[in-house]
Amino acid sequence: MNTRSLKFQLIAWYAGLMAACLALLGAVTYWALQDSLIGALRESQLRRARQVAQLLNDEVAHGRETQVEGQIESRYAPGLNGRLIRITRRDGAVLYLSSAPRDQSFDPAALPPPIGSDSQMETAGEVPLLGSRKILLAAHPLQTPGGARYLVEAGAPMDEVQAELRHWLMVLLGMLPVVAAVAVGGGYVLVKRALSAVDRIAISAERISSYNLSERLPVAQTGDELERLSVALNRMIERLDAAFQHSRRFVADASHELRTPLTIIRGEIESLVKSAELKDEWRDRLGGALEEVDRLASIVEGLFAISRLDAGEAAAEWVRFDLAQLATSTADQMGLLAEDKKIAVTCVGSLGIWVEGDRARLKQVVVNLLDNAIKYTPDGGAVSLEVKAENGLAILEVADNGVGIPPDLLPRVFERFFRVDEARSRERGGAGLGLSIVKSICAAHRGRVRVSSEPGRGSRFRVELPLVAPMAKENQEPNNREHQPAQRS
Amino acid sequence: MRVLLVEDDRKVADFVARGLRAERYNLDVAYDGTVGWEMASSSPYDVIILDLMLPGINGVEVLRRLRARGGTAAVLVLTARDSTADKVELFEAGADDYLTKPFAFAELLVRVKALIRRPPAERAHVLRVDDLELDLLTQQVKRAGKRVDLTSKEYSLLEYLAAHAGQVLSRTMIVEHVWDESFENLTNIVDVYVRYLRTKVDDPFPTKLIHTVRGAGYSIGEAKEP
Repeated sequence: MNTRSLKFQLIAWYAGLMAACLALLGAVTYWALQDSLIGALRESQLRRARQVAQLLNDEVAHGRETQVEGQIESRYAPGLNGRLIRITRRDGAVLYLSSAPRDQSFDPAALPPPIGSDSQMETAGEVPLLGSRKILLAAHPLQTPGGARYLVEAGAPMDEVQAELRHWLMVLLGMLPVVAAVAVGGGYVLVKRALSAVDRIAISAERISSYNLSERLPVAQTGDELERLSVALNRMIERLDAAFQHSRRFVADASHELRTPLTIIRGEIESLVKSAELKDEWRDRLGGALEEVDRLASIVEGLFAISRLDAGEAAAEWVRFDLAQLATSTADQMGLLAEDKKIAVTCVGSLGIWVEGDRARLKQVVVNLLDNAIKYTPDGGAVSLEVKAENGLAILEVADNGVGIPPDLLPRVFERFFRVDEARSRERGGAGLGLSIVKSICAAHRGRVRVSSEPGRGSRFRVELPLVAPMAKENQEPNNREHQPAQRS
Repeated sequence: MRVLLVEDDRKVADFVARGLRAERYNLDVAYDGTVGWEMASSSPYDVIILDLMLPGINGVEVLRRLRARGGTAAVLVLTARDSTADKVELFEAGADDYLTKPFAFAELLVRVKALIRRPPAERAHVLRVDDLELDLLTQQVKRAGKRVDLTSKEYSLLEYLAAHAGQVLSRTMIVEHVWDESFENLTNIVDVYVRYLRTKVDDPFPTKLIHTVRGAGYSIGEAKEP
């Protein structure tokens, strides 16, 4: 579980707060209950003491002090009820002491003698017994009209109160995990609901790349942070869009502006080369200059192509076609390039891998990847071309057993003007744009290209494009020249 | 053959004009759209070479007006842009061909020649360059009477060179003609094919027909005097 996630933290806080509330509420009710239970017990014992005192007073008035015991036993049966009643004379002699309760919860005889019997006031207090048990003792002083003074005490063990409180505590403790679970569950649902809007924004933001920067995120009309977030993201996309457009326009303008001077340079050199009185050495040097003009022109062309592709060139020329068939026929057309280096090109896979797109552009992908593979594979090596369908994707893989690419340079191979081996690539006349063009074409077709490589053992380029349903038979172009039986051409 | 060149960049116009005049075309030059339109509408031209970005009236507008008035001159458009939408717009406006800057003069020449409609009788079934013979119907090649076996791509390449014998063809032109535009960055494929072609067509014979012109491309047969 991700403990740093906002979701987890919110739920944890939520559950913690709920548990704390419950604990506080529990504590308050616990004390209140304790208070009220003890208060009630105290009242009842005071009342009992008064009643017994009244009884004693009546009996003493009739001179029947000794009969009090019988009266108390028959009226209150304290032993049976688990209560205590004790009557002490002023001189300390115990007039009456109730018998031990049936459950033997306390021993009346073991009680300490009353203290402060001089008091004219009723008192009540807890008296400790053996162990942690206590008894609540209420005392009522009595002075008969005859002048005799007694102290009447009524008591009840606090076990019941304690049991009641323990029970309540149990209920509270039992409720704690239930409340916590409910809090976690409820918190999860609430947080998920709150965050799902963020999730939706993230999903739509994820869809936006440099190829569809004109799109915007849906703005949640909630008037809160979420709305602010989506509006802020949209503004950021707008600024990105402007920056991208600016840079694309710059590349397009620059390559456009370079065309006319290049035309003039080439034209002038060409007409110089043609003049008859030119020395052979000069002609050769001018030829060298022309070659560089060509290279410059192809760089301009490549940059222009990339900027157009990245700007989302109109999909006007999109058709449905068999990628496997295109790949095989292209490999066939390039056969001599490989043969020249004694490189074996094997085509794997079956026909019928349909994709949709600009056929010429996707052919360029195959051409550039195969050319690359052939270029960087030493004489006598092997290049394989595989087209297959996988999880709704059309896969084109070009693998070689050539020099490979060092791992640290792997992420950069699709960058413009990047060359793994500067000296060697230049000598082979590459402009360093081939793979970035491949990347741009793939992206413009809602696909992507990836590379894996082991230095010294070869590289593998993998193009993934959305697979489409095959075109109905009657719609296939019968006059496509690549449908002709494969011949080494 | 009367050719009109409408191009606002004087330097481009100059070398194109020089080259075309050297090829003995009767050439007029206009440096802006307005003058270009006046000239195109007042004299009958066989071919009009038209730049798109022009001061005055722009190239596409000149083209539209020309076609609206029923002008039949073949129009070759020079453009610095080559996006698909532009091409479609051009052909809809009535262009016959287009050439993207920077272009090789040889390519301009090949296209201009192609636009000048020759009488059908001139189209021979056999192309001859020195003692090399190409039968366009059977695609058979003979040199000094001996049959030379070529693959179909080698034949296409040789036919393209022979059809423009004496002219230098750039690698880009060859790639686009013999292969297709997807191969435009793969001009080394031309070198490989030319090498193979030479082993069959030139190596067994004392006279070499296929020439490499550094920086420009390849040609077959004797170069025409400029």
